[in-house]
Amino acid sequence: MNGFTAFVRKEATEILRTWRILVLPGILLFFAITGPVMARFTPEILKAVADMPAAAIKALIPDPTYLDSYGQWAKNLSQIGLFALIIVYGGIVSSERKSGTAVLVLTKPVSRSAFIAAKALVHAAFLTVIVTAGTLVTWGGTALTFGSAPVAPLLDSAFSWLVFALLFLSLMTLLSVALPSQAGAAGVGIGVYALLAIAGLSKTLTLYTPVGLSSAPSVLASGKHFALLWPVLSSVALSVALVAAAAWLFSRQEL
Amino acid sequence: MKAAIQITGLTKVFGSKRALDGVDLIVEEGSIFGFLGPNGAGKTTTLRVLTGLARPTSGRVRILGRDVAGADDEVRQRIGFLPDVPGFYDWMTAREFLRFAGGLFGLTGSLLDERVAVLLDLAGLTDVSTRIGGFSRGMKQRLGVAQALVNAPKLLMLDEPTSALDPIGRKDVLDMLASLRGRTTVFFSTHILSDVERICDTVAILDAGKVVAHGPIDDLKARYGAQKVIVEVDEGAEWLAGEVGRAPWASTVTLTEDGAIEIAVSDARAARCGLPAIVASRGLALRRMEAGEVDLEDVFVELVGGGRS
Repeated sequence: MNGFTAFVRKEATEILRTWRILVLPGILLFFAITGPVMARFTPEILKAVADMPAAAIKALIPDPTYLDSYGQWAKNLSQIGLFALIIVYGGIVSSERKSGTAVLVLTKPVSRSAFIAAKALVHAAFLTVIVTAGTLVTWGGTALTFGSAPVAPLLDSAFSWLVFALLFLSLMTLLSVALPSQAGAAGVGIGVYALLAIAGLSKTLTLYTPVGLSSAPSVLASGKHFALLWPVLSSVALSVALVAAAAWLFSRQEL
Repeated sequence: MKAAIQITGLTKVFGSKRALDGVDLIVEEGSIFGFLGPNGAGKTTTLRVLTGLARPTSGRVRILGRDVAGADDEVRQRIGFLPDVPGFYDWMTAREFLRFAGGLFGLTGSLLDERVAVLLDLAGLTDVSTRIGGFSRGMKQRLGVAQALVNAPKLLMLDEPTSALDPIGRKDVLDMLASLRGRTTVFFSTHILSDVERICDTVAILDAGKVVAHGPIDDLKARYGAQKVIVEVDEGAEWLAGEVGRAPWASTVTLTEDGAIEIAVSDARAARCGLPAIVASRGLALRRMEAGEVDLEDVFVELVGGGRS
């Protein structure tokens, strides 16, 4: 064991033994459980409360299918899921600086780069696990609620969101190094999200850059085709670059 | 004797403020070194540069024979550090934190087990199973010293390890540091003079970013401490104090509560000749006249007290 692996172990244990195990997993699990049910029964709830003939409602809202359930999952991930991620990871580095724990760790044989890399790796793995688990729960819930749940659209959609989420994890790591305030970093992160959504109006950017991943989860969840190759490759490359930039910047900072 | 710390011409500038202004310092291996100075003198900045947390504006810093400029793992492998306000992971227990700290140095297996057991004992935390979040300031400080020792460092650096502790907490931490004498070089900053007098063999006094004195405590006392004479008379002490105050060799004259007169003198010989003459001129009965002991506080006040309100 060296300093890096000891720090990786600390970071992973910290997830399990603090609020971190409750927030993102809790939000994702809640969406995974309620999504299929909401998709299945929303039209019936509307029928019950709307002052319209049933036929008119049926014309407006077609009978739900498993794709509505997948769409619900993709929508929840892309909006509240991503916002929660941005807020939670706004302090991924700055919180350790503020609490003074970074000083105790970084005056031992752990380089600043190793500190950043360990955090990015552990939380990337954590996100992968919780998105996978949430997707499996959504799939099971959809199968139970709708009787049929072909897995491909859901997997493609969840995979595209996971890559997008990892990009934002990398971005927040950099922002949390650059900005001492968690709220400040989260604000900038949400600003970047808004910019990507606006950039989605450009077809070229959507096809070839990470911009495409802001809309890909919903498109894929609806059963339509979306060419993921370039958006995914460019996102992975950008994620690596963002973490490298965070490590570089952190190495130059005084603590 | 080899130098554990060698600082040459260290300057650190923050904007328009010169926090360190050409600091030169040598800390010899094996010493317990007190780095003394008033608040804001630059002690913490010096320690931040020594540990690689901050970079010098100019100057050279060597630790255990290596330049700190790169602050590489090899230097950090051999030092222990306790910052002024140590931050712990509140969700860990003391044992878990020490195991984590040891792991950062690559310690494993029975060596780590033994180290952690010894250090928990040293810190008086062996039977404490609560999480660090519930620790008192004193417990955290003792754990802080323990974590700084987990790698059996050649050089232990501590920033104000006893400030904000109650007398018992201070005694515990000072005892921990004193127990390291002869095994580890200890370099600690403080503004508490009695702590330094109690355990240090060598001191440096930092004021406004400059080292104003540096050496063994006894040397500093001899060199900088104003010499004192204490006089006691049967009666007429107030008159005598007033009269002595006018003498050219008396810097300050203090009438103590028990009736003695404490005189800081600039010329000891002149005082020894002049004092009995003043006493005799009024026919007073001299009960006691002796040389007073100079303490570090006198040295400190002499060196950094001037110009302070």
